[in-house]
Amino acid sequence: MDPAGPIRYASQNAAALIGYAQTRLTGVLLRDLFPEAAARRLIEQLGSIRQPQPTFIDTLYTASGRHFHLLAHFHDGHHILELEPAESEPPVSLHLLYDLMTTFMERLRPISDPAEAMDLSAREIRRITSFDRVLIYRFDHDWNGHVLAEDGHPDMASYNDLWFPASDIPRQARELYRLNRVRLVVNAGEAPAALLAHTATAGQPLDLTYASLRSLSPVHCEYLRNMGVCSSMSVSILSRERQLWGLITLHHRTPRRVSYQVRAACDFVAQSLSIHLDALEQRQELTERIRVKSLTTGLLAHMAKEERFIDGLRHNGSQLLQLVAASGAAVFFEGTSTLIGETPSEEVIGLLVDQLLVHGREGIFHTERLQEKFPHLDEFRNCPPGVLATSLSEVHRSYVLWFRPEVITTVKWGGDPRKPAEPDARGMRIHPRKSFDAWKETVRGRSRPWLAAEIEAAQDLRSAILTIVLRKAEEMAEMSEELQRSNRELEAFSYSVSHDLRAPFRHIVGYAQLLRESNAGRLDDRDQRYLEKIADSAQFAGTLVDNLLHFSQIGRTALRMRAVDMNLLVEEVRRDAVINLDSRQIEWRIAPMPNVFADPILLRLVWQNLVENALKYTRARDFTHIEIGADLREKETHFFIKDNGVGFDNAYRDKLFGIFQRLHRMEDYEGTGIGLANVRRIIARHGGRTWAEGEIDRGAIFWFSLPNRGELEK
Amino acid sequence: MTRGLLKPIVLVEDNPNDLELTLVALEKARLANDVVVLRDGAEAIDYLSCSGSYSSRERGNPAVVLLDIKLPKLTGLDVLEYIKRDAELKSVPVVMLTSSRQEPDLQRSYELGVNAYVVKPVSFDDFVRAVQELGGFWAVLNEPPPGSVRFNR
Repeated sequence: MDPAGPIRYASQNAAALIGYAQTRLTGVLLRDLFPEAAARRLIEQLGSIRQPQPTFIDTLYTASGRHFHLLAHFHDGHHILELEPAESEPPVSLHLLYDLMTTFMERLRPISDPAEAMDLSAREIRRITSFDRVLIYRFDHDWNGHVLAEDGHPDMASYNDLWFPASDIPRQARELYRLNRVRLVVNAGEAPAALLAHTATAGQPLDLTYASLRSLSPVHCEYLRNMGVCSSMSVSILSRERQLWGLITLHHRTPRRVSYQVRAACDFVAQSLSIHLDALEQRQELTERIRVKSLTTGLLAHMAKEERFIDGLRHNGSQLLQLVAASGAAVFFEGTSTLIGETPSEEVIGLLVDQLLVHGREGIFHTERLQEKFPHLDEFRNCPPGVLATSLSEVHRSYVLWFRPEVITTVKWGGDPRKPAEPDARGMRIHPRKSFDAWKETVRGRSRPWLAAEIEAAQDLRSAILTIVLRKAEEMAEMSEELQRSNRELEAFSYSVSHDLRAPFRHIVGYAQLLRESNAGRLDDRDQRYLEKIADSAQFAGTLVDNLLHFSQIGRTALRMRAVDMNLLVEEVRRDAVINLDSRQIEWRIAPMPNVFADPILLRLVWQNLVENALKYTRARDFTHIEIGADLREKETHFFIKDNGVGFDNAYRDKLFGIFQRLHRMEDYEGTGIGLANVRRIIARHGGRTWAEGEIDRGAIFWFSLPNRGELEK
Repeated sequence: MTRGLLKPIVLVEDNPNDLELTLVALEKARLANDVVVLRDGAEAIDYLSCSGSYSSRERGNPAVVLLDIKLPKLTGLDVLEYIKRDAELKSVPVVMLTSSRQEPDLQRSYELGVNAYVVKPVSFDDFVRAVQELGGFWAVLNEPPPGSVRFNR
């Protein structure tokens, strides 16, 4: 109504309650109902009400001797005035309520266990309302209610730890609980009073969302009656985000009225409990976050130490598991995989990763019921149902996965959740279920759920890894650029060496020659020898430069691999080497050798060096024996060349292949000391090894190995 | 054959030692041709195109150009490219004389149509022999390269 205007809606029983002469109050003005002073004050008070929550404004004493608490609220353009009979309720002084609340708060404050806080609240509410039973229950994600605390009369059945299916409180009802936190049904067995409308407003229903005296739906009343409950009250517990967290439900076997002040006190208890639980949860979350952060930091430190950062995860499996309290983990990274703890097989994990890719999930995936999520995949049947996966790359199959085992739990339902309602005999109406006997359900295929802090930990780890990967990629790009630059510099350097270093040597040789020619006949033997030395030395230095450049080119030029007939190659090298050696008596024993896969030009250089060495170090022998052959092994072939030359001390055999390493005096055996270094370099580039054995004055044997072709293709 | 009827040999060389040694080698090779010495790539192009300080020289192409690769201003490769692109000059045989064994130079010279390539050997005797062979082939015989137009003057 408009406080000064006529009453637009009134309940059927209202006129009788206040002892008004007419049967209905609709259309009547407030000032006609009450003495002038009282009416004016009421109109004034009503006019100042602007909020939808009912507020106590006054006590009304009627001529018939009754008195009522007047509650008023404003909603949808209407002022709504509710009259609650107050005479059956012993007056509760505000003072007393204040004391109750301070005591409650003092006792609640130190409690750190949520269950204890709820127990205290349940007892407190039962104490101030004297109801037969008080239940505190919390909704899960699916809106099933779980009774977490109970305080009740010994005669009442206990509902503690029972679950009530979501269907018990439909969505619209939950929304009403959220908006209107306190509701009271004095007598569920009583027929509700009808609401009458003034003719001027007929047809437009009145929204009673916030009204305290609104009756429950007939189904809800029937539900209460089935429970053996006559009077019921509910106080909503809202979360920080103003969502319905749970309910405090009060039951009484006989009709029971609770004054507005006591209801407000219950609301206070409920909201204090909510704030307290929220604080506890935040504190626990904070502790958890600190724990997780320190684990993440530890793992990152391990990753920083490893050459391949992912090994930091692989080698610290227990920390990786602790991070999200998992019992198994798998790290898939750049084609390698590591399993830690209890995990499914690698193939099954591969399949799981495929599924995650198919479903196009980026970043994080988590479930505590894998089999329910992928019911068509038989392969997952024996997987742990708890999976938390995080992808480490947008392109590759790189994942970290964690697993949690199945936890078989027993859920006690307050009645069979499969039969939330029963149709009556004629199937016309749905009745709520009649039995509230505990019905046990064994829940399988689920793990302990992943907590928000744990999912966040996985996310943090992921972004840390992505940062590392990105930085590594940048470093690699930088390094490869650096490498290319230094290669170009090296090439330019080689060019300068080749061009500029050779020139002065050439000039020395040239001028020494000219000097000798222009003074022909005037130089004595010693002068001649000096000039020769100058020319020889300069020429040798020039050769050294050429050889050094050649050596550096061998390391850089690309291999041109093909099948090479080793017998043919060795024969050609031998033929070239013996030109001009007609005077020597040489016995060659060359065994048939298998073909190899190699760069023929470089391989020819190898044999040239080895054959020329063999001939060089046997030249003091009257009869030279040179033996060449091969030994075919499983994965590689060993080739050898054996001579009966001057040999060498085995103590120096590792020095032989070093650049500019010589084991003989220059005047005995000429050379720049680069030939065997070239041999080693060429063989190493083919994936083989080089080694040698010698005995002074008895001869030497040089070996090199080449991988067999099958090995190369691997 | 008398001197004067022979076309000159052009030697482009910046290093004075190499220049002196090459001239000695040419002398030892007993080639009858005059030798025109040019000291950098730009001077070589001026001479060959009869421009700049050579605008008044007697017209006519040399018997052979002996060209060092590493030259001041324009490199030997630049001069080679100029010669092989010029319609009148392209039949002149060019021999690259250089210290360098580096493959890219060799490759590039062949791409540009060089007629011969000599890496100056460290041994002076070898060098004299090489110059003799080159001179004998390109200068005295005065045979144009196969497929080119015979030089008439």
